[in-house]
Amino acid sequence: MAPHFAAYSFVDRITDFVPAKHARGQFAIPPHVPEFSSCLVAEAVGQLAAWVSMAHINFRGRPVAALATETRFHTDATPGRTLDLVVDIDDCDDEAVAYSGSASIDGKTIVDLIHCLGPMLPVEDFDAPETLRARFELLRAAGASAHRFQGVAMPAVMTREHARGQSLQATLAVPSEAPYFGDHFPRRAVFPATLLLDTQIRLALDLAREAPPWKDRQVPHPARVTHVKMRSFILPGQNVDLAIDLAPLANGIAKASLNARIDERVVATARLEIAG
Amino acid sequence: MANDVINKDEIMAVYPKVAETMADALGCDVEDIKLDVSLIDGLDAESIDFLDMVFRLERAFKIKIPRGKIVENARGDLPEAEFEQKGIVTEKGLAQLKSYLSEIPDSRFKTPMKVADIPRLFTPETFCKLVVRAQREAKAPA
Repeated sequence: MAPHFAAYSFVDRITDFVPAKHARGQFAIPPHVPEFSSCLVAEAVGQLAAWVSMAHINFRGRPVAALATETRFHTDATPGRTLDLVVDIDDCDDEAVAYSGSASIDGKTIVDLIHCLGPMLPVEDFDAPETLRARFELLRAAGASAHRFQGVAMPAVMTREHARGQSLQATLAVPSEAPYFGDHFPRRAVFPATLLLDTQIRLALDLAREAPPWKDRQVPHPARVTHVKMRSFILPGQNVDLAIDLAPLANGIAKASLNARIDERVVATARLEIAG
Repeated sequence: MANDVINKDEIMAVYPKVAETMADALGCDVEDIKLDVSLIDGLDAESIDFLDMVFRLERAFKIKIPRGKIVENARGDLPEAEFEQKGIVTEKGLAQLKSYLSEIPDSRFKTPMKVADIPRLFTPETFCKLVVRAQREAKAPA
Protein backbone atom coordinates (compact mmCIF):
# COMPACT_ATOMS: atom_id res chain seq x y z
CA MET A 1 0.00 0.00 0.00
CA ALA A 2 1.33 3.44 -0.93
CA PRO A 3 2.22 5.32 2.25
CA HIS A 4 0.50 8.61 1.36
CA PHE A 5 -2.76 8.95 3.30
CA ALA A 6 -2.16 5.51 4.83
CA ALA A 7 1.02 5.20 6.88
CA TYR A 8 0.37 8.15 9.19
CA SER A 9 -3.07 9.52 8.30
CA PHE A 10 -5.80 9.24 10.89
CA VAL A 11 -8.92 10.84 9.47
CA ASP A 12 -11.16 8.58 7.37
CA ARG A 13 -14.08 10.92 7.00
CA ILE A 14 -15.20 14.42 7.89
CA THR A 15 -18.83 14.13 8.92
CA ASP A 16 -19.60 17.66 10.00
CA PHE A 17 -17.89 20.78 8.76
CA VAL A 18 -18.32 24.47 9.49
CA PRO A 19 -15.60 26.30 7.53
CA ALA A 20 -12.88 27.77 9.73
CA LYS A 21 -14.85 26.97 12.87
CA HIS A 22 -15.63 23.38 13.60
CA ALA A 23 -15.44 19.83 12.32
CA ARG A 24 -16.27 16.31 13.30
CA GLY A 25 -14.61 13.29 11.80
CA GLN A 26 -13.98 9.61 12.21
CA PHE A 27 -11.10 7.20 12.10
CA ALA A 28 -11.55 3.45 12.28
CA ILE A 29 -8.60 1.96 14.13
CA PRO A 30 -7.74 -1.17 12.17
CA PRO A 31 -8.37 -4.32 14.21
CA HIS A 32 -5.09 -5.87 13.08
CA VAL A 33 -2.78 -3.25 14.62
CA PRO A 34 -1.40 -4.27 18.02
CA GLU A 35 -2.13 -0.89 19.61
CA PHE A 36 -3.11 2.66 18.86
CA SER A 37 -1.43 4.91 21.40
CA SER A 38 -2.96 8.02 22.95
CA CYS A 39 -0.38 10.10 21.09
CA LEU A 40 -1.68 8.74 17.79
CA VAL A 41 -5.20 9.61 18.94
CA ALA A 42 -3.97 13.16 19.61
CA GLU A 43 -2.39 13.14 16.15
CA ALA A 44 -5.79 12.23 14.67
CA VAL A 45 -7.40 15.25 16.35
CA GLY A 46 -4.58 17.49 15.12
CA GLN A 47 -4.96 16.16 11.59
CA LEU A 48 -8.66 17.02 11.57
CA ALA A 49 -7.75 20.56 12.64
CA ALA A 50 -5.16 20.63 9.86
CA TRP A 51 -7.79 19.76 7.24
CA VAL A 52 -10.11 22.52 8.46
CA SER A 53 -7.33 25.10 8.50
CA MET A 54 -5.84 24.13 5.14
CA ALA A 55 -9.27 24.31 3.51
CA HIS A 56 -9.84 27.74 5.04
CA ILE A 57 -6.75 29.19 3.38
CA ASN A 58 -7.34 27.30 0.14
CA PHE A 59 -4.40 24.95 0.70
CA ARG A 60 -1.78 27.69 0.53
CA GLY A 61 -0.30 26.55 3.80
CA ARG A 62 -0.33 23.59 6.12
CA PRO A 63 0.04 23.68 9.89
CA VAL A 64 2.85 21.86 11.62
CA ALA A 65 2.93 20.71 15.21
CA ALA A 66 4.36 23.40 17.46
CA LEU A 67 2.50 24.13 20.69
CA ALA A 68 0.03 22.13 22.73
CA THR A 69 -0.88 23.79 26.00
CA GLU A 70 -2.50 20.73 27.51
CA THR A 71 -3.38 17.22 26.39
CA ARG A 72 -5.44 15.08 28.74
CA PHE A 73 -5.28 11.31 28.43
CA HIS A 74 -8.42 9.64 29.73
CA THR A 75 -8.27 6.05 28.57
CA ASP A 76 -6.75 3.89 25.87
CA ALA A 77 -8.14 3.50 22.38
CA THR A 78 -8.77 -0.05 21.31
CA PRO A 79 -7.94 -1.42 17.86
CA GLY A 80 -11.07 -2.31 15.93
CA ARG A 81 -13.03 0.64 17.36
CA THR A 82 -13.87 3.92 15.67
CA LEU A 83 -12.60 7.23 16.97
CA ASP A 84 -15.03 10.14 16.87
CA LEU A 85 -12.99 13.29 16.41
CA VAL A 86 -14.05 16.86 17.01
CA VAL A 87 -12.18 20.15 16.66
CA ASP A 88 -13.14 23.71 17.42
CA ILE A 89 -11.01 26.31 15.68
CA ASP A 90 -10.31 29.39 17.79
CA ASP A 91 -8.44 31.23 15.11
CA CYS A 92 -7.11 30.43 11.67
CA ASP A 93 -5.28 32.40 9.02
CA ASP A 94 -2.18 32.19 6.82
CA GLU A 95 0.02 32.50 9.91
CA ALA A 96 -1.32 29.79 12.21
CA VAL A 97 -4.24 27.73 13.41
CA ALA A 98 -5.30 27.72 17.06
CA TYR A 99 -7.67 24.98 18.11
CA SER A 100 -8.93 22.63 20.77
CA GLY A 101 -10.41 19.22 20.21
CA SER A 102 -11.07 15.75 21.48
CA ALA A 103 -11.42 12.13 20.49
CA SER A 104 -13.91 9.65 21.88
CA ILE A 105 -15.16 6.13 21.32
CA ASP A 106 -18.87 5.49 21.88
CA GLY A 107 -19.15 8.75 23.79
CA LYS A 108 -16.26 7.99 26.10
CA THR A 109 -13.50 10.58 25.83
CA ILE A 110 -10.08 9.18 25.00
CA VAL A 111 -8.04 12.37 24.64
CA ASP A 112 -8.66 16.11 25.03
CA LEU A 113 -6.42 18.65 23.32
CA ILE A 114 -6.64 22.12 24.82
CA HIS A 115 -5.27 25.26 23.18
CA CYS A 116 -2.99 23.97 20.46
CA LEU A 117 -1.23 26.15 17.94
CA GLY A 118 0.27 25.14 14.61
CA PRO A 119 2.15 27.67 12.52
CA MET A 120 1.35 27.54 8.82
CA LEU A 121 4.14 26.75 6.38
CA PRO A 122 3.92 26.79 2.57
CA VAL A 123 2.01 23.69 1.59
CA GLU A 124 4.07 23.17 -1.57
CA ASP A 125 7.10 22.43 0.59
CA PHE A 126 5.36 19.41 2.10
CA ASP A 127 2.77 18.05 -0.30
CA ALA A 128 0.97 18.71 -3.57
CA PRO A 129 -1.84 21.22 -2.91
CA GLU A 130 -4.08 19.65 -5.58
CA THR A 131 -3.64 16.22 -4.02
CA LEU A 132 -4.57 17.56 -0.60
CA ARG A 133 -7.57 19.41 -2.03
CA ALA A 134 -8.84 16.23 -3.71
CA ARG A 135 -8.31 14.27 -0.53
CA PHE A 136 -10.23 16.81 1.49
CA GLU A 137 -13.16 16.53 -0.91
CA LEU A 138 -13.06 12.75 -0.59
CA LEU A 139 -13.02 12.93 3.22
CA ARG A 140 -15.99 15.29 3.16
CA ALA A 141 -17.94 13.09 0.73
CA ALA A 142 -17.80 9.30 0.79
CA GLY A 143 -14.77 9.16 3.02
CA ALA A 144 -11.56 7.22 2.51
CA SER A 145 -11.39 3.45 2.67
CA ALA A 146 -10.85 2.31 6.23
CA HIS A 147 -8.01 0.27 7.72
CA ARG A 148 -5.24 1.68 5.56
CA PHE A 149 -3.03 2.16 8.61
CA GLN A 150 -0.70 -0.78 9.15
CA GLY A 151 0.71 0.20 12.52
CA VAL A 152 3.89 2.05 13.25
CA ALA A 153 7.23 0.69 14.36
CA MET A 154 8.58 2.62 17.33
CA PRO A 155 12.11 3.93 16.72
CA ALA A 156 15.11 2.34 18.38
CA VAL A 157 16.11 3.88 21.71
CA MET A 158 19.43 3.28 23.45
CA THR A 159 19.74 4.19 27.11
CA ARG A 160 22.89 6.13 28.00
CA GLU A 161 22.35 6.96 31.66
CA HIS A 162 19.73 5.71 34.04
CA ALA A 163 19.05 6.55 37.70
CA ARG A 164 16.27 4.19 38.73
CA GLY A 165 12.99 5.97 39.23
CA GLN A 166 14.60 9.37 38.84
CA SER A 167 16.11 10.18 35.48
CA LEU A 168 17.03 8.73 32.18
CA GLN A 169 19.07 9.81 29.21
CA ALA A 170 18.75 7.96 25.96
CA THR A 171 19.34 8.32 22.27
CA LEU A 172 16.47 7.91 19.87
CA ALA A 173 17.69 6.81 16.45
CA VAL A 174 15.28 8.16 13.87
CA PRO A 175 15.27 5.67 11.01
CA SER A 176 16.48 6.79 7.61
CA GLU A 177 13.48 5.17 6.02
CA ALA A 178 10.04 4.37 7.36
CA PRO A 179 6.58 4.17 5.78
CA TYR A 180 5.39 7.22 7.72
CA PHE A 181 7.94 9.45 5.99
CA GLY A 182 6.00 8.96 2.75
CA ASP A 183 2.92 10.37 4.43
CA HIS A 184 4.42 12.85 6.86
CA PHE A 185 5.30 14.46 4.51
CA PRO A 186 5.69 13.28 0.88
CA ARG A 187 7.84 16.23 -0.21
CA ARG A 188 9.71 16.72 3.02
CA ALA A 189 10.10 13.80 5.36
CA VAL A 190 9.79 14.81 9.01
CA PHE A 191 9.77 12.56 12.07
CA PRO A 192 6.29 13.01 13.58
CA ALA A 193 6.25 15.03 16.80
CA THR A 194 3.62 12.68 18.18
CA LEU A 195 5.97 9.71 17.74
CA LEU A 196 8.66 11.60 19.64
CA LEU A 197 6.19 12.33 22.43
CA ASP A 198 4.98 8.74 22.40
CA THR A 199 8.55 7.51 22.84
CA GLN A 200 9.22 9.98 25.65
CA ILE A 201 6.03 9.04 27.49
CA ARG A 202 6.85 5.32 27.28
CA LEU A 203 10.29 5.96 28.77
CA ALA A 204 8.84 8.20 31.48
CA LEU A 205 6.34 5.48 32.40
CA ASP A 206 9.18 2.95 32.67
CA LEU A 207 10.89 5.34 35.08
CA ALA A 208 7.68 5.89 37.03
CA ARG A 209 7.18 2.14 37.48
CA GLU A 210 10.58 2.00 39.19
CA ALA A 211 9.75 4.87 41.51
CA PRO A 212 8.23 4.00 44.85
CA PRO A 213 5.78 4.30 46.34
CA TRP A 214 2.82 3.66 44.06
CA LYS A 215 -0.07 2.23 46.01
CA ASP A 216 -0.86 -1.45 45.59
CA ARG A 217 -2.08 -2.39 42.15
CA GLN A 218 -1.80 1.15 40.87
CA VAL A 219 -0.40 1.18 37.39
CA PRO A 220 1.27 4.45 36.42
CA HIS A 221 -0.35 5.93 33.36
CA PRO A 222 -0.06 9.27 31.59
CA ALA A 223 -2.68 11.72 32.90
CA ARG A 224 -1.78 14.81 30.95
CA VAL A 225 1.04 16.46 29.11
CA THR A 226 1.46 20.22 29.13
CA HIS A 227 3.77 22.82 27.61
CA VAL A 228 4.48 20.75 24.51
CA LYS A 229 6.73 22.82 22.31
CA MET A 230 8.35 21.62 19.08
CA ARG A 231 11.24 23.93 18.23
CA SER A 232 12.44 22.39 15.02
CA PHE A 233 11.89 19.51 12.65
CA ILE A 234 13.50 16.15 13.30
CA LEU A 235 14.74 14.56 10.10
CA PRO A 236 15.25 10.96 8.97
CA GLY A 237 18.50 9.49 10.23
CA GLN A 238 19.03 12.00 13.02
CA ASN A 239 19.93 10.97 16.56
CA VAL A 240 17.85 12.67 19.21
CA ASP A 241 19.16 12.88 22.76
CA LEU A 242 16.30 12.40 25.19
CA ALA A 243 16.41 13.47 28.82
CA ILE A 244 13.65 12.61 31.27
CA ASP A 245 13.63 13.77 34.87
CA LEU A 246 11.00 12.44 37.22
CA ALA A 247 10.06 14.34 40.36
CA PRO A 248 9.03 12.43 43.49
CA LEU A 249 5.42 11.39 43.71
CA ALA A 250 3.23 14.09 45.26
CA ASN A 251 -0.54 13.95 45.75
CA GLY A 252 -0.73 10.85 43.58
CA ILE A 253 0.99 12.51 40.63
CA ALA A 254 4.55 12.11 39.41
CA LYS A 255 5.73 14.96 37.21
CA ALA A 256 8.31 14.41 34.50
CA SER A 257 10.13 16.91 32.34
CA LEU A 258 10.74 15.71 28.80
CA ASN A 259 13.55 17.22 26.76
CA ALA A 260 14.86 16.34 23.32
CA ARG A 261 18.07 17.70 21.83
CA ILE A 262 19.95 17.29 18.60
CA ASP A 263 23.61 18.29 18.70
CA GLU A 264 23.04 20.10 22.00
CA ARG A 265 20.20 22.18 20.56
CA VAL A 266 16.83 21.77 22.25
CA VAL A 267 14.31 20.58 19.65
CA ALA A 268 11.33 19.72 21.85
CA THR A 269 10.16 20.12 25.42
CA ALA A 270 7.12 18.99 27.37
CA ARG A 271 5.93 18.32 30.91
CA LEU A 272 4.20 15.05 31.72
CA GLU A 273 2.01 14.17 34.69
CA ILE A 274 1.76 10.49 35.54
CA ALA A 275 -1.04 9.20 37.74
CA GLY A 276 -1.44 5.86 39.46
CA MET B 1 -2.98 54.22 15.00
CA ALA B 2 -2.00 52.03 17.94
CA ASN B 3 1.42 53.66 18.23
CA ASP B 4 0.21 56.21 20.75
CA VAL B 5 2.18 57.02 23.85
CA ILE B 6 1.85 54.34 26.52
CA ASN B 7 2.62 55.51 30.02
CA LYS B 8 4.47 53.62 32.72
CA ASP B 9 1.33 53.12 34.81
CA GLU B 10 -0.34 51.29 31.95
CA ILE B 11 2.73 49.10 31.51
CA MET B 12 3.04 48.33 35.21
CA ALA B 13 -0.66 47.45 35.37
CA VAL B 14 -0.20 44.54 32.96
CA TYR B 15 3.41 43.66 33.78
CA PRO B 16 2.80 41.12 36.59
CA LYS B 17 0.49 38.99 34.45
CA VAL B 18 2.72 39.43 31.39
CA ALA B 19 5.76 38.33 33.42
CA GLU B 20 3.93 35.30 34.79
CA THR B 21 2.73 34.32 31.32
CA MET B 22 6.15 34.77 29.75
CA ALA B 23 7.86 32.81 32.51
CA ASP B 24 5.48 29.93 31.92
CA ALA B 25 6.17 30.03 28.18
CA LEU B 26 9.94 30.23 28.59
CA GLY B 27 10.16 27.78 31.49
CA CYS B 28 12.02 30.24 33.69
CA ASP B 29 11.33 31.93 37.02
CA VAL B 30 9.04 34.94 36.99
CA GLU B 31 11.84 36.91 38.67
CA ASP B 32 13.90 36.45 35.51
CA ILE B 33 11.36 38.42 33.49
CA LYS B 34 12.77 41.89 34.10
CA LEU B 35 11.09 44.63 32.12
CA ASP B 36 14.21 45.47 30.15
CA VAL B 37 15.86 42.10 29.58
CA SER B 38 16.40 41.10 25.94
CA LEU B 39 14.21 38.09 25.32
CA ILE B 40 16.60 36.54 22.84
CA ASP B 41 20.01 37.47 24.24
CA GLY B 42 18.99 37.42 27.90
CA LEU B 43 16.42 34.66 28.10
CA ASP B 44 17.33 32.49 25.09
CA ALA B 45 13.91 32.93 23.49
CA GLU B 46 13.47 31.63 19.94
CA SER B 47 10.83 32.40 17.33
CA ILE B 48 8.60 29.58 18.59
CA ASP B 49 8.74 31.19 22.06
CA PHE B 50 7.48 34.48 20.63
CA LEU B 51 4.58 32.60 19.09
CA ASP B 52 3.96 30.83 22.39
CA MET B 53 4.06 34.08 24.38
CA VAL B 54 1.64 35.82 22.05
CA PHE B 55 -0.68 32.77 22.14
CA ARG B 56 -0.64 32.75 25.95
CA LEU B 57 -1.00 36.52 26.33
CA GLU B 58 -4.05 36.47 24.08
CA ARG B 59 -5.74 33.99 26.37
CA ALA B 60 -4.52 35.56 29.60
CA PHE B 61 -5.80 39.02 28.66
CA LYS B 62 -8.60 37.96 26.29
CA ILE B 63 -7.16 40.10 23.53
CA LYS B 64 -6.11 39.58 19.93
CA ILE B 65 -2.49 40.16 18.93
CA PRO B 66 -1.75 39.65 15.23
CA ARG B 67 0.62 36.71 15.16
CA GLY B 68 3.94 37.06 13.38
CA LYS B 69 3.32 40.73 12.73
CA ILE B 70 5.17 42.48 15.52
CA VAL B 71 7.78 43.77 13.09
CA GLU B 72 5.03 44.87 10.71
CA ASN B 73 3.41 46.76 13.56
CA ALA B 74 6.72 48.38 14.38
CA ARG B 75 6.82 49.71 10.81
CA GLY B 76 3.56 51.52 11.43
CA ASP B 77 2.31 53.54 8.46
CA LEU B 78 5.72 53.60 6.80
CA PRO B 79 5.69 51.70 3.47
CA GLU B 80 7.91 48.61 3.50
CA ALA B 81 10.20 50.07 0.82
CA GLU B 82 10.85 53.10 3.01
CA PHE B 83 11.30 51.03 6.17
CA GLU B 84 13.88 48.62 4.82
CA GLN B 85 16.00 47.98 1.77
CA LYS B 86 17.53 44.59 1.04
CA GLY B 87 16.92 43.46 4.60
CA ILE B 88 18.53 46.53 6.18
CA VAL B 89 16.44 49.07 8.10
CA THR B 90 16.68 52.52 6.48
CA GLU B 91 17.43 55.69 8.40
CA LYS B 92 13.75 56.60 8.28
CA GLY B 93 12.87 53.07 9.34
CA LEU B 94 15.27 53.25 12.26
CA ALA B 95 13.66 56.46 13.48
CA GLN B 96 10.23 54.78 13.26
CA LEU B 97 11.57 51.71 15.05
CA LYS B 98 13.05 53.79 17.86
CA SER B 99 9.75 55.58 18.27
CA TYR B 100 7.78 52.31 18.36
CA LEU B 101 10.29 50.61 20.67
CA SER B 102 10.73 53.69 22.85
CA GLU B 103 11.50 51.46 25.83
CA ILE B 104 14.72 50.24 24.24
CA PRO B 105 17.85 52.32 24.95
CA ASP B 106 19.45 53.94 21.90
CA SER B 107 22.65 51.99 22.47
CA ARG B 108 20.90 48.73 21.57
CA PHE B 109 19.97 49.89 18.06
CA LYS B 110 22.78 48.87 15.76
CA THR B 111 23.66 50.72 12.59
CA PRO B 112 23.20 49.22 10.09
CA MET B 113 20.38 47.14 11.54
CA LYS B 114 19.12 44.00 9.82
CA VAL B 115 15.36 43.50 9.79
CA ALA B 116 16.01 39.94 10.96
CA ASP B 117 17.69 41.34 14.08
CA ILE B 118 14.73 43.47 15.17
CA PRO B 119 13.32 40.74 17.46
CA ARG B 120 16.64 40.81 19.36
CA LEU B 121 15.53 44.20 20.68
CA PHE B 122 12.29 42.91 22.17
CA THR B 123 11.91 42.90 25.93
CA PRO B 124 9.03 42.04 28.28
CA GLU B 125 8.17 45.75 28.18
CA THR B 126 7.68 45.43 24.40
CA PHE B 127 5.09 42.74 25.09
CA CYS B 128 3.47 44.81 27.86
CA LYS B 129 2.99 47.54 25.28
CA LEU B 130 1.55 45.05 22.79
CA VAL B 131 -0.98 44.04 25.41
CA VAL B 132 -1.88 47.64 26.24
CA ARG B 133 -2.33 48.47 22.55
CA ALA B 134 -4.51 45.41 22.03
CA GLN B 135 -6.59 46.34 25.09
CA ARG B 136 -7.04 49.86 23.73
CA GLU B 137 -8.07 48.53 20.31
CA ALA B 138 -10.56 46.18 21.92
CA LYS B 139 -12.10 49.11 23.80
CA ALA B 140 -12.09 51.47 20.82
CA PRO B 141 -15.48 51.95 19.13
CA ALA B 142 -15.79 49.98 15.89
